[in-house]
Amino acid sequence: MRITEDILKLFGPEQLYYNPQTLDHYSKDYSLFPSKRPDCVVKARNAEEIQHVLKYAGSNGIPVVPSSSRVHFYGGTIPQKGGIVLDLTEMDRVLEIDELNRRVRIEVGLTWGKLSKRLEEKGLRVMMPLYPHPLRSVVTDLLEREVITNTVYEYGESLQGMEVVWPNGEVFRTGSASVEGYPESICKGVNPSGPGLDFYRLLQGAQGTMGVVTWANVKVEYLPKMDKIFFIPVSNISRGIEFLSQIMRLRVGQECFFLNRMNIALIFDVDFKKRGERVPPWTLLIVLSGFQRYPEEKIRYEEDLLRNLVKGEFQELLLLEELPNCPFSNLEIVRMLRRAWPDPLTYWKQRYKKGCQSLFFVTKPSYVEKFVGIVEALAIQSGYKKGDIGMYIQPIEQNRACHLEFNFYYDPENGPEKEGMAQLYQKAVLRCLNEGAHFTRPYGEASRVIYERAPEYVRTLKRVKAIFDPQNLMNPGRLCF
Amino acid sequence: MIPKEAIKEFESIVGNEYFTVDPVICEGYRGGPGGYECGLGYEKMMVRIPKGIILPRQTSEVRAIVSVCYQYDIPYVPYSTGFYGAKSHPHVENALLIDLKRMNGFEIDERHLLAVVEPGIIYSQLQEEALRRGMYVSVGGGGGQVSVIANMINDGTSPHSYRFGLAQRRILGTEMVLPDGDLLRLGSLAIQEDPFWGEGPGPDLRGLLRGGTGWRGSFGIVTKMAIKLMPFQPEALRPEGVSPQTSLRLPQNRVKWVNIRMPDHMSLKKAVYEIGKAEIGAAVMKVPLFWRAVARAKSKEEFWEIWSKESEERIQSFHLLRVLLIAYGSEDQMKYEERVLTDIVTELGGQAQRTKQTDESWFKNADSAGMWLMCGGYISVDYISETLDHAVSQGERMADLKRNFTPPLMPDYGERGWFQSLEMGHQGYSEYLIYWDPEENTERVDQFYLESAKENIRRRFYTALLGPNQPLYLTGPAYGRDYHQWLLAIKNEFDPKWLCHPPFPLAHDQFIDEAEWMKTLKDWKEPGLKERKVFPSVKSQTD
Repeated sequence: MRITEDILKLFGPEQLYYNPQTLDHYSKDYSLFPSKRPDCVVKARNAEEIQHVLKYAGSNGIPVVPSSSRVHFYGGTIPQKGGIVLDLTEMDRVLEIDELNRRVRIEVGLTWGKLSKRLEEKGLRVMMPLYPHPLRSVVTDLLEREVITNTVYEYGESLQGMEVVWPNGEVFRTGSASVEGYPESICKGVNPSGPGLDFYRLLQGAQGTMGVVTWANVKVEYLPKMDKIFFIPVSNISRGIEFLSQIMRLRVGQECFFLNRMNIALIFDVDFKKRGERVPPWTLLIVLSGFQRYPEEKIRYEEDLLRNLVKGEFQELLLLEELPNCPFSNLEIVRMLRRAWPDPLTYWKQRYKKGCQSLFFVTKPSYVEKFVGIVEALAIQSGYKKGDIGMYIQPIEQNRACHLEFNFYYDPENGPEKEGMAQLYQKAVLRCLNEGAHFTRPYGEASRVIYERAPEYVRTLKRVKAIFDPQNLMNPGRLCF
Repeated sequence: MIPKEAIKEFESIVGNEYFTVDPVICEGYRGGPGGYECGLGYEKMMVRIPKGIILPRQTSEVRAIVSVCYQYDIPYVPYSTGFYGAKSHPHVENALLIDLKRMNGFEIDERHLLAVVEPGIIYSQLQEEALRRGMYVSVGGGGGQVSVIANMINDGTSPHSYRFGLAQRRILGTEMVLPDGDLLRLGSLAIQEDPFWGEGPGPDLRGLLRGGTGWRGSFGIVTKMAIKLMPFQPEALRPEGVSPQTSLRLPQNRVKWVNIRMPDHMSLKKAVYEIGKAEIGAAVMKVPLFWRAVARAKSKEEFWEIWSKESEERIQSFHLLRVLLIAYGSEDQMKYEERVLTDIVTELGGQAQRTKQTDESWFKNADSAGMWLMCGGYISVDYISETLDHAVSQGERMADLKRNFTPPLMPDYGERGWFQSLEMGHQGYSEYLIYWDPEENTERVDQFYLESAKENIRRRFYTALLGPNQPLYLTGPAYGRDYHQWLLAIKNEFDPKWLCHPPFPLAHDQFIDEAEWMKTLKDWKEPGLKERKVFPSVKSQTD
């Protein structure tokens, strides 16, 4: 095959793979989306090697699919048009830990498992999504705008200046990392914005269609000195959300989110049978934290605020200090929230039936109850057990909006079940879209129906894409490209 | 002149009442004297009086106007409140100025912490409505009188950015007319009528709106924007005083400014880092001595009386840290934060000063007008968000450079600018302001502005003033690298005739090419004439 022969001239056999077993491995992921083999896989180790691949691909009109890890849940790296998979998993170094400016500079292949461990040793942490898979890439999850569990910081987003190789093979640095000679400069790359335009925004949510990010600066925070966790059982989700809105406006708490009964059971290994029918459908978890100075005092005034609110308007709520029937201590639960999932083999989304199809979008908290009703009804119609749906609500920005996620667990080895799952997912996307759900990062077949609703956005997106990637070689077939 | 056929079309779009070519009214849209960039060579050379003024009321009218401009090759300039004296105004002859003040739609959504504004809405209106509902917004340094949208797409930093973060993080669903008249809706507006969310779907095209600063009106017209508001504490800020000496009285149990005298510059910087690390405070900054004189003076004369008594020695020994504490949750939060703050500054040898518990500048008034009264002209010659270390070093370097340009710049005894903590210490924001008398020869002020850009490149400092604010062919190769090529490719794609506020983003390049006193400073390469967008010489227009 010509591609492999050509690439063998650029890379040795230790970096180029084209045997059928390897190509099969890269043809699929943990999603429902159909498999498709690449022509070859190149393991790049630095920006220069990425440049070689992109320049070669550009000269020969060959698609390139960047892949920063081997754990994908949404089909984003399945090479729909074949071509070269650019495997970036060996670019997994921590390049800098800058405690003074609370940032790390990390390569794109670095995983949550490795980074959270390195930072913990230094008393630092990066804001994390809900129990990420330990082998997922940190930079990719941040580029894909995975929502984080700690939303107390108004300034939110963790990504700072980064390096990208554009589709034409040029290396470019964004934000304040764009100064000449970086990182040998007084600039540390902490500002994501600029130069001239917010290029980083164009790379976010792009699923590798706009270029290949090689490293990024990421904000880190100090680990709290002291924590206290509360579990608040909630029967009426709208009341729970109202309570949450009030406490978040008071800037109370660090990690804070709702899980339904199914996801509590999967994450914390809780045996609900022991708790009988009295188990509430939802639990709000909220962590109060104290920092280096007077940590008890901070936790005390925040706890007072919580308790006063419960005594006043929300007397039906209980502030539990323990999760009943849970094998983990409270301290362990807080630690777990700041680490990746410990074992890839028991990942919480895969421990029930191996497969998990997640439906998620951003919405207003006041719509949560409506969407829960819609999705549960669709599931029942499709023969899916209502109680098997996992649900996760992540408040964002003082709960002015939220990430709402439904996890459908299924057996990927069972053909009819998998097919039924795919149909249910498509129906649910369409129905939620019709009801006002905002899908900020559409994947797979769902992206077609979502982009059909946004003709002006698609038109402009295609014009921008054509500037950066005129041949449409970067992960073609993805999004609206 | 604007062609007669186009005039008819403009009149049919908005009606006779809202379109004019009357030279008297057009003269009213001459830039300056407004303080910012006032009287500089750039203003004298580049600014033109528009040949027509049009005031649309809605987005469909804006689209129709842009479409007529494209049909008849009429350059146009979007205009909201015109804070950027020179840069807000046309730079070429026969331009149409699109005054957006009639687009003053405003909605506020208390439950979901956002406001939806059109370009005619100013910060004073927005902040008043937000405060009434237990929320607040960050008013940029331009002041309460500037358009919210114009500020959000061009600048938007304030001391509140310590908690709020970069201004562009607060931009939600947005509607804009692209330079060629195409409509673009961003975020949730792309799919539905609700603008509550800013991202996607997919790649986030908010990236086109701006970088550290914006296009200065040369990339279309934003017609509607939802922006985030932040929950505030529950007690009212009470207005007091008689105009122009007005302020807001702070409820000290909930909102408090604390001034702290630090022993030296290093300890001040360290305190700012430590405060961010402790995650307390709502705004944290170093105050230049100069601000004190501005705050104390009730007239220009009084300012000079106070200021002329200062000395380099006193400036070098003045290290004032100013911290805003807001107890969002309870009065106990105030006690906790005061205790932590006291600990930090005491360890570093700081001493709390008696502090007036009113606010003149940062909640509502943002009394920036007061800042230029003493000289008549001023500009932020540079502003940057990078680390706190960067903020301090860059200020020192600018102060050194400035000595060579004083006068005509106002003597400031080596003041190193001001800086503040941004995003709870993750970034440091520094701003370097210069002042001059527009009645004097200001050629050296123009030169200093350019030299500051060159100094940034030499020293590898970052700056927000990339894009159209400095010569693009000077800064382009030094940042990114070659960010200017992408910027120009985007401009060419969406404005193929370069009708939206030409010659931005190459306005400064053209100014330097044509101003005699700037030519000798041009020591960088630029593309040949075939590659570069060329506009009629501003000199020949003057002739």
